[in-house]
Amino acid sequence: MTATYPQVLLKNRKPDRITTLSEYREAGGYEALRRVLTEMDRQEVKTRLADALLLGRGGAGFPAGIKVSTVAEDAPFPRYLVCNADEMEPGTFKDRVFLHAEPHMLIEGMALAAYSIRASHGIIFIRPEYESAAKILEREIGIARGEGLLGERILGSDYDFEIVVHRSGGRYICGEVTAQLNALQGRRPNPKQPPPYATDKGLWGLPTLANNVETLACIPHIVKNGAQWFKDLALTPEAAGTKLFCVSGKVNRPGCYELPLGIKLSEIIETCCGGMKDGATFKACLPGGASTGYLTADHYHIEMDFDSLKKARNRLGTGAVMVFDHHCCMVAATLNLTEFFARESCGWCTPCREGFPYLRDLLWRIENGQGEAGFIPMIKTMCRHLWKSYCAFAPGGVASIESLLMNFEDEVMAHIEGKGCPFKK
Amino acid sequence: MPTLKIDNREINVPAGTKVIEAAERLGIMIPRFCFHPALGSVGACRVCAVAFTEGPVKGIQMSCMIDAQDGMVVSTTDAEAVDFRRHVIEFLMLNHPHDCPVCDEGGHCLLQDLTVAGGHGLRRYRGLKRTHINQDLGPLVQHEMNRCIQCYRCSRYYQEFTGYRDLGVMGIGSRVYFGRSAPGMLESPFAGNLIDICPTGVYTDKPSRYIGRRWDYQRQPSLCIHCSLGCNLTASARYRQVVRHEARPNLEVNGHFICDRGRYGYAYASIADRPRQAMAAGTPGPIVDILAGAREAIQQTVEKHGPGSVAVVVSPRSSLETLAVVKEACGQHGWTGPAAAHTNRQALNRNTAVSCLRPELAVSLAADTEAHDVLVIGADPLNEAPMLALSLRQVQRRGGHVIVIDPRGVQLPFDFDHWAVHPSAMGAILQALIQEIGGHRATAPDTPATFDITKLARRLNASPRPVVVCGTDILTPHEIALAGDLARALRRTHKVAGLFYTLAGANAFAAALLHDQPVSTEAVLDRIEDGGVRLLVAVEQDLWREFPDRKRLQAALKRLDHLVVLDYVDSPLNREAGHFIPTQPLYESGGHWINQEGRLQAASPVMAGGEPIEITGGSDHPPRVFDRRIPGDEPLAAWRAVAALAGEDEADPAPQLKTALADFHPAVNLSTPEATGQRIDLEAIAHDLVESGPAPEPAEDDAPADAVVLLLVDWTFGTEPLSAMAPALTRMEAAPVARLHPDEIARLGLAEGRPVTVSLNGNRLTVPVQADPRMAAGVMAVPRHHLLEWQVFGETRVIVKRSQLKAESE
Amino acid sequence: MLPEKLKSELTAQIARVDHPREMAIDVINALQDHYGYFSDEALAQAADLLGMSPLELDELATFYTFIYREPVGKHVIHVCDSLICWMEGDENLVAHLCDRLGIQMGGTTADGLFTLLPVCCIGYCDRAPAILVDRQVHGPLTIDALDRLIDTLRENHS
Ligand SMILES: Cc1cc2nc3c(=O)[nH]c(=O)nc-3n(C[C@H](O)[C@H](O)[C@H](O)COP(=O)(O)O)c2cc1C
Ligand code: SF4
Ligand code: FES
Repeated sequence: MTATYPQVLLKNRKPDRITTLSEYREAGGYEALRRVLTEMDRQEVKTRLADALLLGRGGAGFPAGIKVSTVAEDAPFPRYLVCNADEMEPGTFKDRVFLHAEPHMLIEGMALAAYSIRASHGIIFIRPEYESAAKILEREIGIARGEGLLGERILGSDYDFEIVVHRSGGRYICGEVTAQLNALQGRRPNPKQPPPYATDKGLWGLPTLANNVETLACIPHIVKNGAQWFKDLALTPEAAGTKLFCVSGKVNRPGCYELPLGIKLSEIIETCCGGMKDGATFKACLPGGASTGYLTADHYHIEMDFDSLKKARNRLGTGAVMVFDHHCCMVAATLNLTEFFARESCGWCTPCREGFPYLRDLLWRIENGQGEAGFIPMIKTMCRHLWKSYCAFAPGGVASIESLLMNFEDEVMAHIEGKGCPFKK
Repeated sequence: MPTLKIDNREINVPAGTKVIEAAERLGIMIPRFCFHPALGSVGACRVCAVAFTEGPVKGIQMSCMIDAQDGMVVSTTDAEAVDFRRHVIEFLMLNHPHDCPVCDEGGHCLLQDLTVAGGHGLRRYRGLKRTHINQDLGPLVQHEMNRCIQCYRCSRYYQEFTGYRDLGVMGIGSRVYFGRSAPGMLESPFAGNLIDICPTGVYTDKPSRYIGRRWDYQRQPSLCIHCSLGCNLTASARYRQVVRHEARPNLEVNGHFICDRGRYGYAYASIADRPRQAMAAGTPGPIVDILAGAREAIQQTVEKHGPGSVAVVVSPRSSLETLAVVKEACGQHGWTGPAAAHTNRQALNRNTAVSCLRPELAVSLAADTEAHDVLVIGADPLNEAPMLALSLRQVQRRGGHVIVIDPRGVQLPFDFDHWAVHPSAMGAILQALIQEIGGHRATAPDTPATFDITKLARRLNASPRPVVVCGTDILTPHEIALAGDLARALRRTHKVAGLFYTLAGANAFAAALLHDQPVSTEAVLDRIEDGGVRLLVAVEQDLWREFPDRKRLQAALKRLDHLVVLDYVDSPLNREAGHFIPTQPLYESGGHWINQEGRLQAASPVMAGGEPIEITGGSDHPPRVFDRRIPGDEPLAAWRAVAALAGEDEADPAPQLKTALADFHPAVNLSTPEATGQRIDLEAIAHDLVESGPAPEPAEDDAPADAVVLLLVDWTFGTEPLSAMAPALTRMEAAPVARLHPDEIARLGLAEGRPVTVSLNGNRLTVPVQADPRMAAGVMAVPRHHLLEWQVFGETRVIVKRSQLKAESE
Repeated sequence: MLPEKLKSELTAQIARVDHPREMAIDVINALQDHYGYFSDEALAQAADLLGMSPLELDELATFYTFIYREPVGKHVIHVCDSLICWMEGDENLVAHLCDRLGIQMGGTTADGLFTLLPVCCIGYCDRAPAILVDRQVHGPLTIDALDRLIDTLRENHS
């Protein structure tokens, strides 16, 4: 099954332990860092990243190469690199799996990214539920430092770089990078609209580059094997690299799989995950976490990459595929998701703070037999207005509701007309 | 200067103007909750959404977050924008109580206005409203969290703008809570502005609760007279009682805010013991008779002892009208005075400051915020002129730097450098600084090495916009003049270099223009003691509360043939006076004041005089007694009373006032209405009034090494005599203490927390000792607190020998 | 009272960083571990250590899921109620837990042993339904497994 595809990030994954430093090095780890520090030009790292068309794996899919190059050459020091290991997007657990497998790949990736912008301080921002990963990271960072791979004068060069692990208090919004920077500075984690951009004035007013765990983990491979190699990993021409897909819900083998971008959804479900659970029928899935819209059976064979999903008016998000079968009530599922967004809204802007509780109330009424036909246009208008919220939280939060009304209006109407949830009867 | 089109009208605005502000210039008021001109934009409430149809920005955007740019075409009436704004308001109303008809904020509530204007009239949401528990935030501000619409103005104002850290936002999502970590008194002396800044009724004015609705009030533009800054405010009265102050925005003076001393200090105007009855030797009588009696007493004294035997003292807080008529009367009749300062030093201090304030140096309170480096000399902003502290905080927020040279343990709500220098060293430091500014190496005065004068001079020289702030309370005239010299020295090399003095009294600037050679009460007492003065007229000058030697005052008054008191506050002197004439506070008289930077400002009368219904009705309403006359309406504007004492019996005093104002001083021109609100003609003030040349050496030079300088100083709450009468503010006061450096406490054999008695010239002052590590060595600071009989030593800056200090056991 | 050792450790940690505020959550966590919850006393001490005002710290403490400003039981059980765990039977688990412990969601058992709280997706959707007990994940859970877990925790205390 998955072995048919090249494994990059999870190649040496062990069932119940991490790849140790020596194992990682034996498999060619830290080679990229050594080469960069001794032979390669800093600029070359940036060029390779840009050429590799590596898109951010944290959910937004922003080109990593462009972000790196927005840190101005003459920007002030110290500069910071933040690794976003918050991963609180419902359905997403790929960073957790990865951190429990390859901590050194992340450390090396961070060192490389940091070197390319001459950052001296690295911070891994991690959610409290991942305490075990935080401990692993702290331990392995110590080991790497002992081996001269971190700290002062890395590998005998004149480059210094330190990494610390920052534990979050636990809130979804902390994954949003501007909110995360506030959190890191001991402030309330409300997002902050640019300008200034973090790469210009981030942590403590200094240039800060922030990337997702998986994005950073790709860097050593790109540096080592080149941009073209990375692009060739994907199945579709516009895409580049592999992706950690984490599949959950009504499949036989939920889990995290490294697969080439552009792989068909049907293949993920059938080949990797062993098909639908209990022989049920595929009804829908969220392709990239709670902030994406439902893909229905119409898209069962969609190629899972950033572009294809965009064309389907959806998003690849975090690559967290959450699968529903024909027993699932999509109104109830959407109500559950809306509950999440109502609870986690940071409370900064009005539409999001008040809109989600309002939408939750309307969906709850529909699910529980108090729905009215008039709710549907109300919900649609409100969702449209929630797009005008302050940050990307709310547009993500209404994605499921909007796609519910787009794809499952019949099911919603059945709730309203039947005064209750047809799936509960 | 970008040009853009808003609702089909073109406008040209300075770069950096937000679209919401550009629209406002066109008279288009785009809805807003989180945006506030003093706090800036954060884009949180989303109610200012408009449509950008052409140009560099497209779609529905928040007009507070977008800089006006060339070629923008903006529609505020776009259907999608309007619908979105309507929804935002609906969202805000989900949890908002439906108590508008009885809510304290109703009628002046931005949320109410926008809900009506935005067209959200019918509730669609069927869920429950979330509710919160309110907190007791102290005597000034009432908290009602259920009304909150989460605009974040309060926490941003409180923390970012004022620099205090005990009010903010807690929780998350739709349950965010604005308040304190635990109930309790708000720490910021600027907390009252929360009331003005909250767009709904979360923070309301506590002392005026349930007194009336704002539209019932008589509201007029007024001024704060509790320090010399002259902050603008709107005063409200109800049933002949002043009930509320609100900040009145004046972007050249106080910006959008006022301090709590100013906001709540008004109670004196309506309290039960305010004297409203004219009296002869303590016996009430009709005011015309009493005035006639006083005039007769004056005539007799003049006949017997000559015109100079009549002396007048007046308050530097009195209106310009009063000062002018007093000045005219003294000039015409040859009376002694008027004295408008207590001691010779204070009189000289004030006049030195005024004469040093050249037009090219004077800066306003608002302009202070634009300074890059501010050197504060001998001033304690938070305690002496609170809004100055807020202004200086904005300097620091904009990346500027504040250095304070002052012996007191000055505290400010931001990071600043403090040189706690002994008062006797201030002059030498200033002199050295001036030399260094001029490029000459100065011999460093005898100060700690941390006070690096060369570095400071370099900093000021390099500053694009330095300002010198100088107090006039604890310093000597010499130092005050040196502060002026310093600003002048900076001005030589700077396009803009400012000078900003604080003075003692809301109209102290005008008081300085009374004479070329200032007269003090101290000097008048000398003349009483030597028999030269036989009759004293005290105009709104409560000598009993304010003169720094009560014993001497009382002895001197006993020597008088006659005392005439005109005042609106209760004082034992009123009953001792041969004739007492009640006067009107500014809420009744109105008038003009000149603030410390020389700005002429007007206060309108807010209400007719008379005893409040609260008092006449015995708190019952409506009153049970009806009369054609308002009870207690006798008080006169002080200038009228003085005119009556000085002029003819039945003469109309209006022409007299007109002449007096016209003759007052060439710098002050009231003949055009435009003059009000502007700085007076500083050029017309004699700048050689007091020369900075060789000045009297500070007395401290002769003091023994183990002496301390006792400074009787101002505190934010509790020392300013009028505001100290406000019950709400007395709860804000700290108890009076003597502050000393801990080492000093040890050196003098005193003990922290235990009282110390200072005995000087047979007078004694006992006050508990408090350690303050920020104090300079050799200095003791005691507030002129109304709970303390501090009026003992004749001066507010005196030398105390060690032998004159005694530690009390309890 | 904060033990001297913990206090000096925290002081040293704070002294090592450039900006004390960045340590806020770590200090809160440390004090919460010590007191069992982030009490008012802990709040005041943390504020002191960090040079922040109590309010500034409360602004943070009240934001986060894993900081408890009110007393909680010895073991805090966070039941994930987000999409996948809910779909995989979370409602049954919650009902069963409430029943077994005799408390409602949000409550603490009379013996002070357990507090039951809902939590958003904890990132173990591949092991749904999942819960956290004292921040340790357990899943996929069945009613039996849950019972065994509660029994073990109870036994450890008797
Ligand atoms: C509400 C919200 C939550 C987010 N949570 C995460 C997260 O947990 N992890 C993450 O890497 N990115 C998250 N993001 C995306 C980040 O803001 C940011 O785009 C990303 O970390 C950048 O890294 P990348 O370019 O490597 O993807 C979130 C965004 C939003 C709007
Ligand atoms: S959309 Fe608004 S309330 Fe929601 S998370 Fe973003 S800033 Fe906070
Ligand atoms: S939905 Fe429960 S762990 Fe993800």
